[in-house]
Amino acid sequence: MLRNLGFFSKISFAWLSLMLFFAIAGPLLPLPDPSEFSDALGAGIFTSGHLLGTDLNGYDLFANIVVGSRNSLFIAIISVGLGSLLGGILGIAAGYLRGKTDYVLTIFFNIFLSIPNLILSLVLIAVLATSPDPTQTVADSRRLVVIIISLTIVIIPILGRITRGSTLAWTNAEFVVAAKSMGMKDLMIIRRHIIPNVLPSIYAVAFLAIGIVIVVEGALSLLGIGVGQGISWGSMLARSQGDLEYAPTSLFVPLTFLALTVIACNQIGDALRQHLDSRESKL
Amino acid sequence: MSELLRVSNLDVRFDTARGLLHAVKDVSFNLEPGESLGIVGESGSGKTVLSRATMGLLTMSTAKKSGSVVLNDVEITKLSRSELRSKWGTEMAIVFQDPMTALNPVRRIGDQIAEGPRVRLGMSKKDAKQRAIELLKMVQIAEPEKVLKKFPLQLSGGMRQRVMIAIAIACNPKILFADEPTTALDVTVQAQILGLISSLRKQLNMSLILVTHDLGVVAGHTDKIAVMYAGEIVEMAPTKELFSNVRMPYTEALLNSIPRITNQSGIRLPVIEGRLPDPTLPQNGCGFSARCKYATEKCHTERPQLVDGGNGHMYRCFFPLGVNK
Repeated sequence: MLRNLGFFSKISFAWLSLMLFFAIAGPLLPLPDPSEFSDALGAGIFTSGHLLGTDLNGYDLFANIVVGSRNSLFIAIISVGLGSLLGGILGIAAGYLRGKTDYVLTIFFNIFLSIPNLILSLVLIAVLATSPDPTQTVADSRRLVVIIISLTIVIIPILGRITRGSTLAWTNAEFVVAAKSMGMKDLMIIRRHIIPNVLPSIYAVAFLAIGIVIVVEGALSLLGIGVGQGISWGSMLARSQGDLEYAPTSLFVPLTFLALTVIACNQIGDALRQHLDSRESKL
Repeated sequence: MSELLRVSNLDVRFDTARGLLHAVKDVSFNLEPGESLGIVGESGSGKTVLSRATMGLLTMSTAKKSGSVVLNDVEITKLSRSELRSKWGTEMAIVFQDPMTALNPVRRIGDQIAEGPRVRLGMSKKDAKQRAIELLKMVQIAEPEKVLKKFPLQLSGGMRQRVMIAIAIACNPKILFADEPTTALDVTVQAQILGLISSLRKQLNMSLILVTHDLGVVAGHTDKIAVMYAGEIVEMAPTKELFSNVRMPYTEALLNSIPRITNQSGIRLPVIEGRLPDPTLPQNGCGFSARCKYATEKCHTERPQLVDGGNGHMYRCFFPLGVNK
């Protein structure tokens, strides 16, 4: 698979691998403490001791990026993974069973697709993750869970509809009738014939969705309802949003990482889809 | 010999936007163990629907079915879905027309062949693999161990159809339905596949229902032939009897439209003018009357019944060929 990738896809793959490495091994790397002030305020990139400079508070940007990648990627991967799993199951149920199940699930997907995702997250966090007493803050972990749930709800109908469409097409394939004519049970047909064919299109869309979710998480942080005390790329942007004139690097560095990661996700998703499309023509 | 399959008064209608489409009209036939029946007819004559309805594979909600299908003394039209499922594969199996679409493109050949023995016969993984190799040898595929690991798109059309046959016979069915098994293949491969089906039938003592539009295909490979036209059986006879004493003008017209090597070049091939009658409209008279060169007033107004002309030869015609009244 990797051999068939184009140059651009290989770079995207390498970039995503690096980000994953940061997310997993971040705390073990020899970097400055991300929450420690330094004397250099708003330093540019390649300043001694600060690879990507600092922001106006003197925080080391590279250390924050590395530590923040954990939250950004963690939220994106978990919510897309969960959303793909649930959306995939519902989509296969709708496409395979058809009839009333399909009717109800399609209405459900359409209703959820019509809710703007930022507003959904805002409402969920306001209801589930704020404390009535302003002097007490809600635990970060609780906020994290609510954010993941709200993003998962956004992903479910997107993946559900894609999976439903794909399942509908494969359910009518002659090899499914052939499997039926051999006396296979429905669950067996779904496991052996539908899922292997539907899975590639789920992968492809899920990668695109990871990119989208990273941006949405950034937007939530910018609005001040992100992961709270924890660092994510979005919260770095939120913290520095007024500092463009004095310390432009404090905005450009997280933005660049955010943009490159989203582009890499889209590229990998596209490459997967192309790989899937040409599967039958490539002898 | 006892009967294996008896289909009586099978009738299938589809509820379509244009009205009730009468696809199979009051069809009856029977099949003995090891016997082979060819069902011949042009496109749209109902032969595929007949074979699927016989197996119970018509699951569309728009299909309305009546009549009875008795397999080994069991009335299968009354069975529940799971009871019917237990007959598929082990008692009745089907080989489809297009081996490209009837194989799953993303699964290996070996897994697809082993699926039936694994699931239906409860074999272990190792036994099922052994069985798959044995089946591939039976359908005369060279180097079966190598082919097991391949994907469908790595095989030629003829090999894919052999794999389809291997899948169909994997659970030792009593009856093999072959729905135009050679239509998607080229002529030289056609002959090999038909020969293979015939020899497997004898070897495994299966019955065969061979559905095709080509009288030439069924000639050498079946014991008896049913000719279908517009959803009805219009002529049914043992193969030799049918070819030596054609009674039905439609069958004669079909035979005349087969090109022969002895035909003088430059001569137009006789064709059957016109089209099948609209299956959504009720029919008066013989379905073939509009295209029949022998048709009289009676043919247009009265419906002929299937009559037994002796020697097991049935036909649906008022003025059968070669019979003086």
